[in-house]
Amino acid sequence: MSKSILLCDDEVHILRAAEFKFQRAGFDVRTAADGLEGWEQVMARRPDLVITDWQMPRLDGFGLVQRIRAEESLSDLPIMMLTAKGFEVSHEELRARWGVYAVVAKPFSPRELLIRASELLETEPAAAGAVSAS
Amino acid sequence: MRGMKGATLFHWLAGCGLILSGALCASALGPWADARLGPLSSALGGGALLAALFAIAFYHCRWLNRRSRVFFESLAQMDPMRAVDPADFPRLPAGHPLADAARQLQSLFVAVGERLRLLEQTSATFEVRAIRAAHEAERIRQVFMGLSDPVLAVNQYGELVLINRAARELTGLSDDEPAGGPLTEAIDAPKLVDLITTTLRRPPGSTRGVELEWHLPGQPQRWYRATACKTGDDGRDAGVVAVLRDISDRKALQRRHAEFVSSVSHEMKTPLAGIKAYVELLADGDAEDEATREEFLRVINSQTERLQRLIDNLLNIARIEAGVVEVRKEPRSLNEILDEALRVVRPAAEAKQIDLQGDLSPLYLGVAADRDMLLQAAINLLSNAVKYTRPGGRVVLRSRMSDEEVRFEVSDTGVGLTADDCEKVFEKFYRVKKDKDMASGTGLGLPLTKRIVEDVHGGRISVESVVGEGSTFIVTLPAAGQRVVQSQGERT
Repeated sequence: MSKSILLCDDEVHILRAAEFKFQRAGFDVRTAADGLEGWEQVMARRPDLVITDWQMPRLDGFGLVQRIRAEESLSDLPIMMLTAKGFEVSHEELRARWGVYAVVAKPFSPRELLIRASELLETEPAAAGAVSAS
Repeated sequence: MRGMKGATLFHWLAGCGLILSGALCASALGPWADARLGPLSSALGGGALLAALFAIAFYHCRWLNRRSRVFFESLAQMDPMRAVDPADFPRLPAGHPLADAARQLQSLFVAVGERLRLLEQTSATFEVRAIRAAHEAERIRQVFMGLSDPVLAVNQYGELVLINRAARELTGLSDDEPAGGPLTEAIDAPKLVDLITTTLRRPPGSTRGVELEWHLPGQPQRWYRATACKTGDDGRDAGVVAVLRDISDRKALQRRHAEFVSSVSHEMKTPLAGIKAYVELLADGDAEDEATREEFLRVINSQTERLQRLIDNLLNIARIEAGVVEVRKEPRSLNEILDEALRVVRPAAEAKQIDLQGDLSPLYLGVAADRDMLLQAAINLLSNAVKYTRPGGRVVLRSRMSDEEVRFEVSDTGVGLTADDCEKVFEKFYRVKKDKDMASGTGLGLPLTKRIVEDVHGGRISVESVVGEGSTFIVTLPAAGQRVVQSQGERT
């Protein structure tokens, strides 16, 4: 069974590029247009990895991370952040305090994003199943 | 003087006359008296002479006594603290035994009077100077107290010796509490106290500064730049004067600039991210079929255009602000420009299921306009309305003739603005809090529109809004040209 990834971003073309790359690599990809929709999808079915943008309408990426970490059953859910934010985001704090595995800066390389996501999922104890990287 | 001398001479002459008369009488009557009286006559003659001498002496003493009394009475009436005119000084006749002493006394009085006069002049000069100094000190105090910048001073012991009104308001020190106590007890601002006490240990003339964050109860946070200067020498006059300058506006501007840079970089990175991602997908050969490749190329193209628009907006606002924009104003039909704006924005409105309506005046609304710039302003207002109106909402563009002006307005059924937002929404870099959550933006669209309308076209822009019901942006421009009824076909 392939690993599932939830992508959250309000920019349709970013979502489409990442979705395209991960689907070609064999992942089960779901998408959400903002943090709130992402949260609803997480609660509906727990993904193996959440990749979320920071700045989004209704509920931003950080708000989504906080909600996930506040939920006991999701406290170990791997999260990666994809952001165009610069100095106002402390990557170190996101990693240390909120357990964000990686903060990837936009503009990003879909290829590198796929590699890092694959590394993360392969290192997870629960990561069973085939993950094929391109 | 001559009279006094004459009087004395008269006394002596009279006396001598009396004695001589007595002697003559005695010699004339001598034989007769000798014959008649015998030896008694000599005794009588001597007695008469003695009596005459006594009378002379008595009379002279009385005269001396009267003169002395008059002199001393006149002297007693004189004010020893006033300058004396020598002509007014009482005198004694030349033969008076106290005449020399009187003259010396007169000289003394005159000298003392002269000295007193000089002292009075000096005293008056000092009094005038003292009054001037007091006025000057009061003026300096008024200026010091009225300075809008908080100023305070401490002496060499670190005691607060001066504090103006602004500093009292800032530190919360009431007017009733006099300066004079230790600074550490008077002011609860450790950073400022540290600055002053550190400066106090520095050489005279040393200046140090620090930026302070200040919280006053019930007021927004303020920022101050405190500058402390060591005054006087290291002795008794040593001290420190500290001046605080409110730099809250500068700090707010810096913060807004930082937010602007962050926002602009975010807005630039987003289309760049699309371009980079799709170029890489194409380069990696991920797009296996022609349709996918075309789709990716379209995204790259649209994101390039998006980046171009952002840069154009930035440059336009910078040019208008710098006054270097090239404006080409020509007589134009406002409705034609608004029609074009509707055409540009309609796809975005349709994608969001927003009912975009045009309600343009049947009259020819002539304006002297730079077509591209006014079109940009109209597109910005319509785009904003579409952006902040939820799907299913409505956006209406109206145009009307109003007296000697033409106006157009963009109304929406969007989220609306608070009164505070309405005041600030045209400020550069300002972004409404809920707008940040609803859609991305640089906070440049409305400031640019305002500059195009007001600075370039001499018009006015305003906004009316009700939170939760929608907003109406109203643009008024000076009319140019004639009112002509357009054919129906020209209207939207």
